[in-house]
Amino acid sequence: MNMSAYSSHRNPKVTIAAIAIAVVIIVGAYGLVFWQAPKPTLTVYTYDSFMLWGSDPDNIDETVFGPFEDEYGIEVRIERLNTDANGIISKLVAEQSNPVADVVIGIDNILILQAQAKQVLEQYTPSNIDLVEHSIIDALDPDHYVTPFDFGLVTLIHRTSELNATVNPGIENLTLTNLVDMASMLVTENPHFSSPGLSFLLSQIAVYEKLMNADWRDWWRAVKDDIDVQEGWTEAWTKWDSDSARKILVSYGTDPAYDASWTGGAPDTAVAPIYYDGVDYAWMQVEGIGLVKNGPNPTLAKAFIDYCLTAAVQDNIALNQWMFPANTNVELDPVFDYALQLDDVSLLNELLTGTEIATNLESWLNAYDEIMLG
Amino acid sequence: MRRGGALRSSLMLIPFILLIGFLVYPVAIVLIQGLLQPTGSSFQEVVGSSLTQRIILFTVGQALVSTMVAMVLGVPGAFVLTKLQFRGKNTTRALMTVPFILPPIVVVVGFLEVFGPGGIIDSILMALLGSDTSMFNIATGYIGIILAHAFYNAPLFILMVSASLERLNPDIEEMAQIHGATFTQRLRRIIVPHIRISILAASILTFLFSFMSFPIVLALGEGSFMTIEVQIWNAFRFFDYGEAASLAIIQLLITMTLAYAYIRTGVREREVTGRTSYVRTVNIADLSTPTKILLIVYSSILLILLVGPILAIIRSAVYDPNTHVLTLRGFESLLNPGMDGGLIPMVNSLFYASLATVFSVILGLLLVFSQQSKMRLIPDLTSMVTLLPLGVSAITIAYGLMIAIAVPLGLSTNPWPLIVVAQTLIGVPFSVRAIEITRSKIDPAILEQAESLGASALHRVFFVELPLLAPGILVAGFFSFAMAIGEMSATIFLARPENFTLAIIIYRYLSVRKFVEAGAASLFLVVMCVAAFIIMERISENGYGGTV
Repeated sequence: MNMSAYSSHRNPKVTIAAIAIAVVIIVGAYGLVFWQAPKPTLTVYTYDSFMLWGSDPDNIDETVFGPFEDEYGIEVRIERLNTDANGIISKLVAEQSNPVADVVIGIDNILILQAQAKQVLEQYTPSNIDLVEHSIIDALDPDHYVTPFDFGLVTLIHRTSELNATVNPGIENLTLTNLVDMASMLVTENPHFSSPGLSFLLSQIAVYEKLMNADWRDWWRAVKDDIDVQEGWTEAWTKWDSDSARKILVSYGTDPAYDASWTGGAPDTAVAPIYYDGVDYAWMQVEGIGLVKNGPNPTLAKAFIDYCLTAAVQDNIALNQWMFPANTNVELDPVFDYALQLDDVSLLNELLTGTEIATNLESWLNAYDEIMLG
Repeated sequence: MRRGGALRSSLMLIPFILLIGFLVYPVAIVLIQGLLQPTGSSFQEVVGSSLTQRIILFTVGQALVSTMVAMVLGVPGAFVLTKLQFRGKNTTRALMTVPFILPPIVVVVGFLEVFGPGGIIDSILMALLGSDTSMFNIATGYIGIILAHAFYNAPLFILMVSASLERLNPDIEEMAQIHGATFTQRLRRIIVPHIRISILAASILTFLFSFMSFPIVLALGEGSFMTIEVQIWNAFRFFDYGEAASLAIIQLLITMTLAYAYIRTGVREREVTGRTSYVRTVNIADLSTPTKILLIVYSSILLILLVGPILAIIRSAVYDPNTHVLTLRGFESLLNPGMDGGLIPMVNSLFYASLATVFSVILGLLLVFSQQSKMRLIPDLTSMVTLLPLGVSAITIAYGLMIAIAVPLGLSTNPWPLIVVAQTLIGVPFSVRAIEITRSKIDPAILEQAESLGASALHRVFFVELPLLAPGILVAGFFSFAMAIGEMSATIFLARPENFTLAIIIYRYLSVRKFVEAGAASLFLVVMCVAAFIIMERISENGYGGTV
């Protein structure tokens, strides 16, 4: 601005008014353009990567939920929040007095044990619940706050080209004790921020406390200087993929299937379930769909949950979500033959009861922090 | 009271009302509810836990070390930038501002790609030494965290201290030299006292930045490190609101004590700075050989640290690590108006950040006016309030805005005004700082003359003060814009899909391994920041230097 600017005697009030009007017009125009027409909408909260791992993630919502929209003449909004399921519950708790969402997808069998999760959900048993096996329902939530949507086995994975029985005999029948020696090869996820990370922590606790009768903390003390704990699954996967020193990853038993589908042949990725005394073990994570308490459209929401158990949705889970559909009648793509199957392993979940986890989770996590930050 | 005075006082109230309404009130609600909640941890439990104590120690310790490293890296740079004549000086300055606008997640990715195992430096070393195992990694662990904080904050030192150096009257130094003062003596007696305040200002901002650090610690710490802020997020996620509130209070006590100490030392001496705007510069050719070598070594280190991650972003915008091919897909996606495209987030980012910039500059102006108030306590109080947005846990602010304002007002279905508010608040500490420094250089006689010549208060502000403040306002605008466009914590918590900003979309792309798309969006942020900076420098006659 130069000297001549204030030689003119325009009334400053005019300038202020002009700026104010300009701001109002711009804001108003933006508001109009982005104003949502008030048409009936069903809002679904889910986590960031929900159903986005398939060949056409841009159109997946239309493919999977379009038929439901047409049938009921409404719009289904799948809101992928930038967080995992814990973060979603935090948001639902915050919105409790005035909920926005009708349905939430992604609450798993550990998270549902938290009182706050149940507090924001309404119990609901779908009319077609028989499509899901009892064992899966019981593994998730016998009280029906959430209904199974899909499930997966949390296990260790590696590449056979990098790590195989010839070079590292320990990888076959991989015990947690072997894993201590291989800790500098291991990447896992932070149990505070990642559900596979938490599943792995609980797996380890189950094996130590229930099978070996040992203090689970000893294992973490032994590995703490060598293990790599990444924030979430994506970060951990990236690390495993890019750092040649990190050869073992805490991930899902379906990873070999994913690998096979991308490469078109037999996968290089292999699973190494935790082995103890002649048995292979894995943790089953069941992800559920729940009805938000006092949500805006309860009737529609219930219909939507029912719809999610039908083949229209469940058929799409395997190749877009890389989990097993909760509706086990669904036929799976042949690549899933490479995945770790439920029948291959004994479930570690069965060693820890829900009450036990709910009571101890906080102190376990604190003890874990004490060791890892020490 | 004169009419103008009344107008001024009521205008001065606006920032306080806004800060109380949108910062103090929501945070207070979260803290009170958290502490009163019967189920969560109590304050005593939290303070007494050895884990908390360890976390506090680490948080403070790493913030101190980060501040020192940023200072050591930055202050010599300030001398180079002020005293040395070289081509591309303006571009250098512009590039230095880039870290401010980068969402932390982008810094993390850039850092790992340059300094991490298997990163650019590591690959070069491995190729040179014919090794097939990784041998270089300074991107993770304690060192990585410190370096990433230095990357963010060294530029702050460079810019702030060089601004102060430009105002050091060269005659004083020359005089001392004539009278036989050695360089060390001049440094101790003249230069250091002169730049002390700017170093202090940069230090407090850096300390607060690093103290509040969250994504960087989480991503580079490999699970072995936790700041208080990380633990607050932990507590919210596991619904222990008592713990979250207790930790936020501890945080607040520490940051506000520091802010108070800073204000006590800083405010009084602000008047000391000279008003000269000419600097004696030297040519590289005139330097002695050892100085030249030192300069080259230093510049190379700084260059690698600051430019490395930016180069990594440029590469990641066109190179797909999944398929190992060069592609323009990232830019296509940036212009894609669809559900997963970058166009709407781009428009949102620009719109929110522009509005936030306007508001934060207006608030900054008002706060600077009230800092000049002659009433007791008001200037100190204003300075404290000004630093508040940096001293309160961003996650707590976000959560507070949600439960205390968005949900009761029904704004949670369409929360964009609140996003603008959150982005405005985060820019205030920077806009005040920028305007304040220009304001302190205005000769009060000019304002008095205007008054005695019969200008109304409004006229005086409009036609005398504001034009004089113009350079400061531009810088304030730039920093507000940069802070707003990079804001993550509140935006990520409040935004619905139609409100996503570029920072959020980058985060989303990364979470589904769309690296090219994330790279292109990050590059867009970088380009926009540099462009904004260059435009700002062109408009500002005084140049950038004198005002930060």
